[in-house]
Amino acid sequence: MLREILRFEFDYRKKRPATYIYFGILFLFCFGAATSKYISIGGVAGGQIKENSPFNLAFMTVIMTFVFTFICSAIMGVAVLRDFDHKTESMMFTTSMSKFDYLFGRFLGSFLVMVLIYSSIWLGFMTGYSIGKFLPWDPSWKEKEMLAFNAWSYLQPYFVFGVTNLFIQGAIFFASGALSRKTIVIYTQGIILLVLYQVTSDILSDIENKTFAALIDPFALRAFEIHTEYWTPAQKNTQIVPLTGLLLYNRLIWCGFAVFILAATYFAFNFNVVQKSFFKSKKTKKSENNLIKPETVKIPLVHQHSGFTTSIQQLIQQTKFYLKLISREIPYLAIVFVGIFNLVVSGFYFDQMYGTSSYPVTANVIELLSEFDLFFLIIIVFYSGELVWKERSVNFNLIVDATPVADWVNLTAKFLGLLLSNIILIFILIFCGVCIQAALGYFNFELPLYFKSLFSSTLAFILLYSLLSFFVQVVSNSKFVGFALMFVFFITTFFLGAAGIQHPMLIFGSGRLGSYSDMNDFGHFLTSFSWTKLYWTGLSVLLFALAIVFGVRGSEAILKSRIKVGKLRLTRPMLAFVLTSLLVFIMSGCYIFYNTNKLNEYTSQEDREKLQVEYEKTFKKYEKTDQPRIIEANLKVEIYPEKRDFTAEGFYWMKNKTKKVISEVHIQNDVLHKMKLEYLTFSTGAKVKQKWDKFDYTIYQLNKPLQPGDSVKLSFKTVFETKGFVASGSNTNVVYNGTFFNNGYFPSLGYSSDFEIGDDDERRKYKLPEKERMLEQNDPRGLAMNLFGDDADYIRFEMQIGTSKDQIAIAPGYLQKSWEAGDRKYFHYKMDVPMVNFYSIVSARYEVKRDKWKDVDLEIYYHKGHPYNLETMMTSMKRSFDYFSKNFSPYQYRQMRIMEFPKYSDFAQSFANTVPFSEGIGFIQKIKDPEEDLDMPFYVTAHELGHQWWGHQVPEAGVKGNAMLSETQAQYSALMVMKNNQSPELMQKFLKYELDRYLRGRSAERKKEQPLVEVEAQGYIHYQKGALVMYALQDYIGEDKVNLALRNFLAEWQYPGPDHPKGRYPTSRDLLGFFKAQTPDSLQYVIEDMFETITLYENKAEKVSYKKLKDGKYEVTLSVNSEKFRADKEGNEKSIASNDWIDLGVYTLDKKGEQKLIYLKKYKVKKGKSEFKIIVKELPSKAGIDPINKLIDRHSDDNTKTAEAAEVS
Amino acid sequence: MKLSVSGLNKTYSNGVHALKDVNLTINQGMFGLLGPNGAGKSSLMRTIATLQEPDSGEIFLGDINVLTQKDEVRQTLGYLPQEFGVYPKVDAVTLLNHLAVLKGITNKGERKEVVEALLHKTNLWDARKKNLGGYSGGMKQRFGIAQALLANPKLIIVDEPTAGLDPAERNRFLNLLSELGENTIVILSTHIVEDVKELCSDMAIINRGQVLYKGNPFDAINELEGKVWSKRIAKAELADYKNNFKVISEKLIGGTPLIHILSEEGNPDGTFEGVAGDLEDVYFSRIITAA
Repeated sequence: MLREILRFEFDYRKKRPATYIYFGILFLFCFGAATSKYISIGGVAGGQIKENSPFNLAFMTVIMTFVFTFICSAIMGVAVLRDFDHKTESMMFTTSMSKFDYLFGRFLGSFLVMVLIYSSIWLGFMTGYSIGKFLPWDPSWKEKEMLAFNAWSYLQPYFVFGVTNLFIQGAIFFASGALSRKTIVIYTQGIILLVLYQVTSDILSDIENKTFAALIDPFALRAFEIHTEYWTPAQKNTQIVPLTGLLLYNRLIWCGFAVFILAATYFAFNFNVVQKSFFKSKKTKKSENNLIKPETVKIPLVHQHSGFTTSIQQLIQQTKFYLKLISREIPYLAIVFVGIFNLVVSGFYFDQMYGTSSYPVTANVIELLSEFDLFFLIIIVFYSGELVWKERSVNFNLIVDATPVADWVNLTAKFLGLLLSNIILIFILIFCGVCIQAALGYFNFELPLYFKSLFSSTLAFILLYSLLSFFVQVVSNSKFVGFALMFVFFITTFFLGAAGIQHPMLIFGSGRLGSYSDMNDFGHFLTSFSWTKLYWTGLSVLLFALAIVFGVRGSEAILKSRIKVGKLRLTRPMLAFVLTSLLVFIMSGCYIFYNTNKLNEYTSQEDREKLQVEYEKTFKKYEKTDQPRIIEANLKVEIYPEKRDFTAEGFYWMKNKTKKVISEVHIQNDVLHKMKLEYLTFSTGAKVKQKWDKFDYTIYQLNKPLQPGDSVKLSFKTVFETKGFVASGSNTNVVYNGTFFNNGYFPSLGYSSDFEIGDDDERRKYKLPEKERMLEQNDPRGLAMNLFGDDADYIRFEMQIGTSKDQIAIAPGYLQKSWEAGDRKYFHYKMDVPMVNFYSIVSARYEVKRDKWKDVDLEIYYHKGHPYNLETMMTSMKRSFDYFSKNFSPYQYRQMRIMEFPKYSDFAQSFANTVPFSEGIGFIQKIKDPEEDLDMPFYVTAHELGHQWWGHQVPEAGVKGNAMLSETQAQYSALMVMKNNQSPELMQKFLKYELDRYLRGRSAERKKEQPLVEVEAQGYIHYQKGALVMYALQDYIGEDKVNLALRNFLAEWQYPGPDHPKGRYPTSRDLLGFFKAQTPDSLQYVIEDMFETITLYENKAEKVSYKKLKDGKYEVTLSVNSEKFRADKEGNEKSIASNDWIDLGVYTLDKKGEQKLIYLKKYKVKKGKSEFKIIVKELPSKAGIDPINKLIDRHSDDNTKTAEAAEVS
Repeated sequence: MKLSVSGLNKTYSNGVHALKDVNLTINQGMFGLLGPNGAGKSSLMRTIATLQEPDSGEIFLGDINVLTQKDEVRQTLGYLPQEFGVYPKVDAVTLLNHLAVLKGITNKGERKEVVEALLHKTNLWDARKKNLGGYSGGMKQRFGIAQALLANPKLIIVDEPTAGLDPAERNRFLNLLSELGENTIVILSTHIVEDVKELCSDMAIINRGQVLYKGNPFDAINELEGKVWSKRIAKAELADYKNNFKVISEKLIGGTPLIHILSEEGNPDGTFEGVAGDLEDVYFSRIITAA
């Protein structure tokens, strides 16, 4: 019997066109992902990772199971439900089959169909990668060498992830469909699964939660990511992702869960036609004696009203009715519940950075609340369908349709009901936000901000998608087709962007309000937001009006009669309404177009790339043309914050530092920000030799060629003007409050290689040769310029800034004078020693906090209302100056200033005696527990101050390895300040995050991983690995030795460049020489391992036992295994011989029951297994090798093991 | 006021010709629309109730063009569809009140009064606070009637209203309709001849989209005078009789068939018994003759 039912189910699906449509869509999509530039799944391929690598194939397969949820719910959910929907259940259940046969026949039949449909995925990929090269269009990998075909790479993930996921999802959907007998419960089910996945991403901001996150994700996507997070590109290209470790456990847990669910379904499924309700029905009250006889009742005469007022009354009545209907729905409540659950979980891990939370300021909580948008969308899509079909689904439609209600009332009421149900949710969200804030101990609720934000962008979002969804539902006139269309709509919108359609007038619902900054409010985003929303509202309302006109009323849904009736409905007021919304749509569209394409120039991503290509092709030949260098900058800058304009007028002095005569000067004016040069003149006169307007690149022929050692004055005025609003990439540097830009806006000299396309995949697309990311270390041109570019070495600097009266403007240098003139305020800054050619211009309404370190003035310019970490920053500055001036060299300036800028970017940056610091980091970070949480504001401040030495006292040569001098040493400096101020446990926590980020960074490397000494602007190397390596170095050779090396290095290389006795800038090799000089021969290998190669360890504690000695001490026996690996640039690793000094450590439990390190000493540990005996005084709790992770080790958690008492022999 | 239907045609997208040149004039009072299942009764009624578009033809209710002035028709319309459902979790008072608003009874007091009166009238008063999901078939049907009577309709269309009612309920319902029929147009469709016989002063028989007869039921019966003959026969003979005579109806009485035949020329072979034709014979004879 089971077999027959299975076959019946299978045959049923075989006959359904939907089955083939699902298959076809998935196949085409996967085929497209494999062969098209525009569709990508997961986006992990590219760079070094081949598109047909086992890793990418597995990842895409897992992602597709996500997408498949939709189909799965449609197939599995209705397997049993169908009988109820078609009311054939009585027929089915009265036959002789058993419950087991019925249920599992249905389940297996549907499951088999799903497995077959899902094979479209590997078939799609396989076909795509096999024939991709021969297609008329170019796959992104066309020019690339691909891996040889291996069928197992396609099939293994299909079985391991695909089929298991189908089974798990299938079981859950099947169960919910069979037990609830309601379609919408099935969908709600799917949402809960997705939320589980979402929750894993929230809790992952604390890296301690990795295992838990990997296990609770039903899709195994998270487990997959965590399992492979440290895989190098080479591994990704060659290894099948094995079903081991966390992945295996995840699959076992969830498959087990699925089996359990199926068993539970079997027992809970009621093989009767009438299902008992879970809730007992209310007992009806005893009927009161009805004294009125029906025959005697006279039906009273009533007045019937019509007209607009009546319609409004009816609208209100209907709206209330539908609102009640929605809000009583269990699935609606379930969706709301899971959405809020998700928020609460996120709230626990609020905005973490290295495990340290931010203060839950309202602006950030609102960003957190936006996680709920997805749930709004789900509610909108589902309930617009439910409402449009409400009357028809209960077969009440003819009665309502025959009432004298105006055609627009019903649909509008449904829309309003849905809208109101969402507005209630907005209030609930605000309440949640306030609760999250209160729970985190923050009580400045800023309710107006909640309302401003949620009732603008969130409400607009809800409004537009509701209108659209109603339109789609009405026009498609099938609930499921409507859902599917919306789904397709979202997918298409997503990929339109990738296909180069990015204009806000073409992306439905565009117009972001942008993130709220406490400093700048919603800033200038409000204007473009309002106009684009008006535009889309015009269209959506128009569509909705069409839905009213062509909506089904009555018993017939064929197009002919809908059009016939529709014509009748186009009454004058209706027509006027339609035309008005059309007019709003067109007029606002015109205004937007005028702003984005007329006032401003609109370019797509592709246009910009093409421009970059053309730039490179035209000007690359000038890259090596000798140019003079700027030796002085003296500018008057006028900032008009309220108009978001500025002008800069003044002069550069430029000197010919070469040995040749320079007769042509190449001026590259800024094109990125559309700066306009009003004039540009040379003191000795010059004429334009050639000019490219498109790139604002001009070659001037000097009237009097510049002799070696001679100087010329370049005077100019350049203007930044904000006109209307732009389509995308609106400027966030020049804003109403919190302007921060740098000299990148001003004219520069010669070719700028920064404009070139850097990514090799992109370059291949435009048939450009692959490009080295940086110059070689022996390149004379690179050695002659520093990290700030080749325009200048050290310069004299002076600047006068004018801004509006209520703002303070700041540039590097010391304030000479400040005065007011009219409604403007002026500041005159001058630096009295030479500084690098990199200066910031900042203007905002500030509060100021002042302090002193020795003779140095310390100032923090902060936004009112952000006082939380000022003390910390001050302390950090003082401690940093203490340490740096004592161990490196004296501080070169008499003042240090930190200025807060809006959180459009999250960084801090070091300029001469000036550090702009984003409000998003540091100013609102919360240190909950100084013993548990890393003090990030403290750390970041120390890092930036470190740059006053590393970058400003010694700018490095613009060649490979350069960031090891600035960033890595700033990291080291900050680490040392932190080490002296925080507990070792916190240091270890910090390093653990750095290790994690380094290992993940190298896993995502697109080109090649470099050893630290050759780092090419790879953050995960110069920041993360740099911190680890420098920390280990000072541990191996001693902090004082490292500092001595740095001191010696500074003494020899301070203020380098062509004018320095060395005649050039230093490289990482130069610094390495100083480190080597301080390192004993026995440890020279450490330098090689850490700086010059890519070296990793696999250290592991195999067994730890102890016994008590007669003197009361304990002898710990430690069996360890150690192995050392060398990796090449692709990440191929090979084991190498080793006999290294590695820490062995022993812990005990302190009084509080926490692990305390009581023994730590370096031992020579040879490759492979070895055993050590250590005597300690206290009772050992655990012990291990490299217990505090000084070495780079992918499995840092297995380094220690719990100590067991040895058996007494 | 009268309702006139002329030249009404409708073919569904599946090819079924539901209405073929239907012409009817319906005056105030009860009008019965008689026909077997699938005859086109519901199509005709839905078209009159503004819920469906004909391919051609015209319908006028007094001066109102039903096909274009839908709202005006709906103002005076009470409609009970053949099959309908309700919101299971809503009670009768709430839903009736809701529908009353939709019918334009915006005065709260009036609405309350009429809703209560109708609940009494349809004997639903005791169950008024009960969720409609818990109603029996008969109660639901009565609810349907109550809603059709909201707002004193001038045109009442009730499609197979007695299906699923027990005899007592049916009686009460028919009485209620006849009460209303005095100054209203009531169109009642049914395949139960009795309903028409008892109530309607005017009727039409419709099959396969065509009007086979229109007029007074008694005239129709009179026309059959002396033309209907009956006989009890053996089961095995049935086929023979069907070949040789115009059998208009057959029913089993005590297990043996009783047939009625139509014969204009008196007792065909002398073995039949003459019977006084009733409306049922009219109905069957019309349908068979047309076939």
